[in-house]
Amino acid sequence: MDSRIAAIARFTLLEALRTRLGVLVLVTVLGLLAASFFIESISIAEGTRFQAGFYAASVRLAAVFIATVYVLVSITREFNDKGLDVLLALDLPRSHYILGKLSGFLAIAVLIAAAAALPLVWLATPAAALQWALSFAAELAIIVAFSLFCVITFNQLTPAASFVLAFYALGRALTAIRLMSAHPLSGGDTLSHQAIQFTVEALALVMPALDAWTQTAWLVNQPASWTTLLELAGLSALYVALLAGATMFDFYRKNF
Amino acid sequence: MKREAERGVGEVPRWVLLLLAATFCMQVAWQALQPRPDARAEALGAPPAPALLRPLALGEPIALAQLLTLHLQAFDNQPGVSIPFLELDYARVVAWLGTILELDPVGQYPLLMASQVYSQVPDTAKQRRMCEFVRNQFDRDPDRRWRWLAHCAIMAKHRLGDVRLALSYADAIARSARHASNWARQMRIFILEDLGELEAAKVLLGGLLASGEVTESKEIHFLMERLKTLEAAGKATPAPENRHPRP
Repeated sequence: MDSRIAAIARFTLLEALRTRLGVLVLVTVLGLLAASFFIESISIAEGTRFQAGFYAASVRLAAVFIATVYVLVSITREFNDKGLDVLLALDLPRSHYILGKLSGFLAIAVLIAAAAALPLVWLATPAAALQWALSFAAELAIIVAFSLFCVITFNQLTPAASFVLAFYALGRALTAIRLMSAHPLSGGDTLSHQAIQFTVEALALVMPALDAWTQTAWLVNQPASWTTLLELAGLSALYVALLAGATMFDFYRKNF
Repeated sequence: MKREAERGVGEVPRWVLLLLAATFCMQVAWQALQPRPDARAEALGAPPAPALLRPLALGEPIALAQLLTLHLQAFDNQPGVSIPFLELDYARVVAWLGTILELDPVGQYPLLMASQVYSQVPDTAKQRRMCEFVRNQFDRDPDRRWRWLAHCAIMAKHRLGDVRLALSYADAIARSARHASNWARQMRIFILEDLGELEAAKVLLGGLLASGEVTESKEIHFLMERLKTLEAAGKATPAPENRHPRP
């Protein structure tokens, strides 16, 4: 990796450390773990299963929220503080800035996923916890890359946050939406339905169906196959690369 | 938003454009090669308890009920409709429909699904199960749910060939659904007639006319004709082709 990209990535990690992102993640993990013990205590059967299910599902949402907000706020601050202007005045290609930032955020995503998965080593089997952690790291990688793309494109926090939220909600519901739109009980031949179905299928081509990632069922029922994980890792890498390309494209076209 | 100050595409390095185009094409190709998602009949699980779903609805039980209805529907909407319906576990379908009605008691969709969709399978046991579900739900809100029970009565008579069952449904409508349409409330008279219980049919028809519930002159005329036929018959009455008054 180019030393300048590595330096930006390192400073991105350092910034996360200094803005106490680690503490926030730790407090969230401990809080949800405590809540999961409460769930376990009030369940009369399958206590550990309930606990693992609740913890995994809730920490997944919480971590996605934290990672998203962190990326959006971090870049917005650079815009507002004019730190970015100083960086761009140096002999630094714009792509290096994006790749450095993205590398830093990806490292943060991996660390958050590891912290979130740590309690699952005791709540589920270590192999299942490892699979969950790897998948969650890949999911968070997509989310941070998409957040970076949105904040670079929109320049402002509110539209970027709304867009990321919509992307994540749609990603988690995409398979269900496809199922529902594919075979309606009636009105399947109408033009409006055909248009909706075409739109849904087109969306499915350009965005990942995030419900396939980080499934709680892997922890409480049956571990996923490693082939599935490999496929998810490949899809994530491809999508992150696509988002990196789109972010750089937008960034190169901006005037500061 | 396109701003005038935006730089041209020519400012973007070629390798970035290539990366973007290549990854986009690969993403589309990868997704296009994936098999389409397909719901399987055996994948339908038991619904969560309404008591659990209510707090999860975050104050929006109707929206949650509608979402659950569409979720349930996704299990039916498979190519080759009649086969997947048959494959569904009807005990679970009934549980889902009941749960949805608990969340949104005013909604009619689950009853429509039960009486018009799930009951269309070529399996009398499953048809009866759906009718039984509609019958049970009818008692909770007869004035809103009578039309679904009326459909089940017709189905019981003509498809199941169980006239007694049809009569019990028609009786329930006449007894409990005060705001039901007249044709539905009069249904039991014609079913009794079909059963050969002319005396009972005559009493009911006479009572209906005497009660003043029927106000439409053409309908009164039609019912009077029916009463006369019954009184004159005293023997097996031939079934008329159309027993309902013309609108």
